[in-house]
Amino acid sequence: MIPLIFLISFIFSSAYALGNTLVLLDNQVIKETHSIFFKSLQDRGYQLTYKIADDSSLHLSKYGEYLYDNLIIFAPSVEEFGGSLNVDSITQFIDEGGNVLVAGSSVTGDVLRELASECGFEVDEEGAYVIDHLNYDISDNGQHTKIVVPSDNLIEAPIIVGEKNEIASLLYHGTGILADPENPLVLPLLTADSTAYSYIPEQPIKEYPHAVGKNTVLIAGLQARNNARVVFSGSLDFFSDDYFTSAVQKGENGVKVPLSGNKKVSLSIADWVFKQQGQLRVRSVKHHKEGEKVPPQAYTIMEQIVYTIEVDIWESREWKPFNTDDIQLEFVRIDPFVRTTLTRKFLANTKLDLKSQTFMVFINLMLIMTGWATHIYTVARKCL
Amino acid sequence: MLKINTKTGLSSLIIFTVLLLAWVAGFSSRLFAVIRFESIIHEFDPWFNYRATAYMVENGFYKFLNWFDERAWYPLGRIVGGTVYPGLMITSGSIHYILHLLNIDIHIRDICVFLAPVFSGLTAISTYLLTKELWSAGAGLFAACFIAIVPGYISRSVAGSYDNEGIAIFALQFTYFLWLKSVKTGSIFWACMTALSYFYMVSAWGGYVFIINLIPLHVFVLLLMGRYSNRLFTSYTTFYILGLLLSMQIPFVGFQPIRTSEHMAASGVFALIIAVAALKYLQTMLSKSEFKSLFIVGALVAAAVVFLAVVVLTYAGYIAPWSGRFYSLWDTGYAKIHIPIIASVSEHQPTTWFSFFFDLHVLVTTFPAGLWYCIKNINDERVFVVLYALSAVYFAGVMVRLMLTLTPVVCMLSGVAFSVLLDLFLREEDTHRSGDSDVDDEQTTSSNRRLYDKAGRVPKMKHEQVRESDGIGANIRSIIIVVMLLLLMLFAVHCTWVTSNAYSSPSIVLASYGNDGSRQILDDFREAYYWLSQNTDDNARVMSWWDYGYQIAGMANRTTLVDNNTWNNSHIALVGKAMSSNESAAYDIMTSLDVDYVLVIFGGVIGYSGDDINKFLWMVRIAEGEHPKDIREGDYFTEHGEFRVDSEGSPTLLNCLMYKLSYYRFGELKLDYRSPSGFDRTRGAVIGNKDFTLTYLEEAYTTEHWLVRIYRVKKPHEFNRPRIPFSNRVVKSQSFISKKNTKRKKGTIKNKPVIVKGKKLLKQA
Repeated sequence: MIPLIFLISFIFSSAYALGNTLVLLDNQVIKETHSIFFKSLQDRGYQLTYKIADDSSLHLSKYGEYLYDNLIIFAPSVEEFGGSLNVDSITQFIDEGGNVLVAGSSVTGDVLRELASECGFEVDEEGAYVIDHLNYDISDNGQHTKIVVPSDNLIEAPIIVGEKNEIASLLYHGTGILADPENPLVLPLLTADSTAYSYIPEQPIKEYPHAVGKNTVLIAGLQARNNARVVFSGSLDFFSDDYFTSAVQKGENGVKVPLSGNKKVSLSIADWVFKQQGQLRVRSVKHHKEGEKVPPQAYTIMEQIVYTIEVDIWESREWKPFNTDDIQLEFVRIDPFVRTTLTRKFLANTKLDLKSQTFMVFINLMLIMTGWATHIYTVARKCL
Repeated sequence: MLKINTKTGLSSLIIFTVLLLAWVAGFSSRLFAVIRFESIIHEFDPWFNYRATAYMVENGFYKFLNWFDERAWYPLGRIVGGTVYPGLMITSGSIHYILHLLNIDIHIRDICVFLAPVFSGLTAISTYLLTKELWSAGAGLFAACFIAIVPGYISRSVAGSYDNEGIAIFALQFTYFLWLKSVKTGSIFWACMTALSYFYMVSAWGGYVFIINLIPLHVFVLLLMGRYSNRLFTSYTTFYILGLLLSMQIPFVGFQPIRTSEHMAASGVFALIIAVAALKYLQTMLSKSEFKSLFIVGALVAAAVVFLAVVVLTYAGYIAPWSGRFYSLWDTGYAKIHIPIIASVSEHQPTTWFSFFFDLHVLVTTFPAGLWYCIKNINDERVFVVLYALSAVYFAGVMVRLMLTLTPVVCMLSGVAFSVLLDLFLREEDTHRSGDSDVDDEQTTSSNRRLYDKAGRVPKMKHEQVRESDGIGANIRSIIIVVMLLLLMLFAVHCTWVTSNAYSSPSIVLASYGNDGSRQILDDFREAYYWLSQNTDDNARVMSWWDYGYQIAGMANRTTLVDNNTWNNSHIALVGKAMSSNESAAYDIMTSLDVDYVLVIFGGVIGYSGDDINKFLWMVRIAEGEHPKDIREGDYFTEHGEFRVDSEGSPTLLNCLMYKLSYYRFGELKLDYRSPSGFDRTRGAVIGNKDFTLTYLEEAYTTEHWLVRIYRVKKPHEFNRPRIPFSNRVVKSQSFISKKNTKRKKGTIKNKPVIVKGKKLLKQA
């Protein structure tokens, strides 16, 4: 009896915990300077394990099992991780579904640059800061590197960054990130203003900066095809207690906002990157002819098909039915032949009224068109 | 009475023996492939026929007619029942059924393998019958022996070559025989038999169009020659109506006989013969001058009405204009410009003189002689054979493939020629005895049939001994006979040689011969297909050039994108485009088509010339036909217009998918110590792009001699992260040298404060 209870409680606790998270730090000081962020995560149920990034006992997995679900790297100046950790093991962690939150700074080390490139973005060269001579905070030291970013520059995705209009301006101090705008997987979560650029402040500008204006990404996100999530921030200070609590005033004459939006955005991003937000799953897919129960061997033309799909969303730590009107069903034969939006109650009642007398092998493909949620698609091959 | 009986008995015994021997000889000379290799289906199309037959035997005829094959032409599928000539499958299916009723347990594959050799015997018999109708039994026996072993026909009917042509030539000859019989007799019975035999032909091969144009042509020419008769009227009208109705029963043919231009000649002649019959009837009632004017007016009006009707119906869309394949018969350059897919098939190329000799040997020379005899002694039937010969010669000149329709008529006319020749030089003895016969009218008298039979087969020593001076000297006679027999012997030797060397390779199993004459079997194709069937998902989709579609479906039982039934040109062009694009563009096409595996044939290691790189320009041309913006043939040539795979080759070629898949890892391979690494034996060149990697595909399997290479297409989720390759990075960092080793596992952090023991930090005052 006792082992049984133990087993049950073990399952319960592991299900209750939001995920083991390994936090890698440059030094123990960061634990103190970013205590609000870490505290909030712990309050939400994450179990944090702090390690110094060059610790020689670092391991992500043991005996083929991952020890952690999430990885936070708040160690911008690390040049080489200790233990068995390196870029390959971290990318493998991502490829097997792990989530990673990385914060860099102007001294970002090569290992983090390499990691960033593996995920589809690049960190500007060493020593470069995002500089904005118009939108700097009043507390700036004169180089205009502590910049004020309006919340308008956040990505249009409430699931990731929260409701924009409820967020105050953000403080940022760090390097810029270059991301390929063509790439659909890479999401520019926060971009700089059009007056910003990324360069080394002490040097006279001889070359065209790598990132200019809106192309300067400050925080970049990636949802990989296996739904693993990666966020790369160019600024470690963005998550610091200092920025969470300080007021924002743009320039000498700007309006003073009592509290920056950093905390809200940081925690919201953390929830997204650790998959507490915007995660969907398909519970069941059914299709059959109208008035029948079992799917036939093959559908033929002029038959009515009833297609049912149940989709769940992960919300406040449990799977709940997902309510949206934006689920589409496609019947594809090289090109989509039928594209229809499913009605609520998760029922598509599509009459396939095909004019040509051709037979075809159809693939049906589900597309979910909500912003930056998990990719879902189910493919079923049916002969029509 | 008794004497006559023995004579008839003897002659029929001879006929029977000769035909039996012809059958046996024809059957056994087709067995080279089975003896050398094994009882397997050959080449490409037979694999589909075999698969369809096996399906029919398994699932029954009606299931077969309704068969929608979703494993072909993915994602389009193919309605097999409606796009196939079912005669072949029904024939072997019913043989299988009957044998199993008799408890003879034989696998359907063996029936398929041996069907064509067995039918070659039937072809010999029907050729005998047809030639007998034309000329004489002796000529018939010659023709039967010729057709049994002539390479032009063996090329399509060796054991394992399970194709429509194997049974269609029999049906063709038999239909012609029945047609001549019905023209001769004017009986409705024979005309009905003709229609039935025509029905079998329609069910077996698309070449039935040849019959439905040749018979009306025969009737038309007879009308022009003023040889109209009631016999002709009866047989043609009966045949046409019945044949039309029967041919429309085949699902694949459907309404074509009344809707396409290819069939219009038959209905035109049908209208014409009825008009002529009506005029003839009127002639019996009118005076000569009245009739003359009526005839001219009537003929003109009838011709104009028929012509206009066809033109109007064509414009209105009721009759489809001639198809491209048909145009290419008249204009040999047509296909090359408009339908590259037809031109890409080697058997659609114009025939060379070499192949005429190769396939027919001495018959090429004797056939005009036979034709001349037929023209000299013209009658209704011989008009037919003359037309048959002329049209077949023309078509055989246009396409190598149509040598097949020429071969029977060549055999027949050569039979006639040899028969006449022997008749002339061996008859002296009999002329003395009976003294009645004349070369010209011999075919009508049945009594001298035996002479030719004897002439053909009986040793001539006896005749040579009887020396008579009858216009031609005895020496000359014997010399000519000896020379002729030598020719025939050489013909037999040539036929056997050609059959053994050229037409008996199954082409899915290759053989190579070493210096010491030892034989090596290269079984790479089956190795690869077997690998596919064992190691891939049952629903895996395999992309290859269309030549290998049927084999993949038949042997590996996997879904293919395109196959040898080239009905959808744009789909083939899409595959061609994928093969001729660079890797990333090809990947887009392949993912949109759900391709799991790509299969290419590469002959560079063993020097096999029929590989995909040699076919590659056709892929480019076909792709260019549909996608002229993306693919241009000129890009694949060098500046001097050459197609080269070495370093001089065009960069487009050296980076396209087909090149990469063929030559992946080939640059490392050193075939022997004399040649450099990456030396392509087929093209005789060192490849130009040796060192490359594949991004979107990975090598899954390469057969022993690299003949077949299979690649797996990576799925999108395998490109999990949008990795930026080092060369594309804007900010390039130097490679970091690791300071970790097995003992020291500590990492490095920049500007890390280091605590040095034993030193006090001096306070800054």
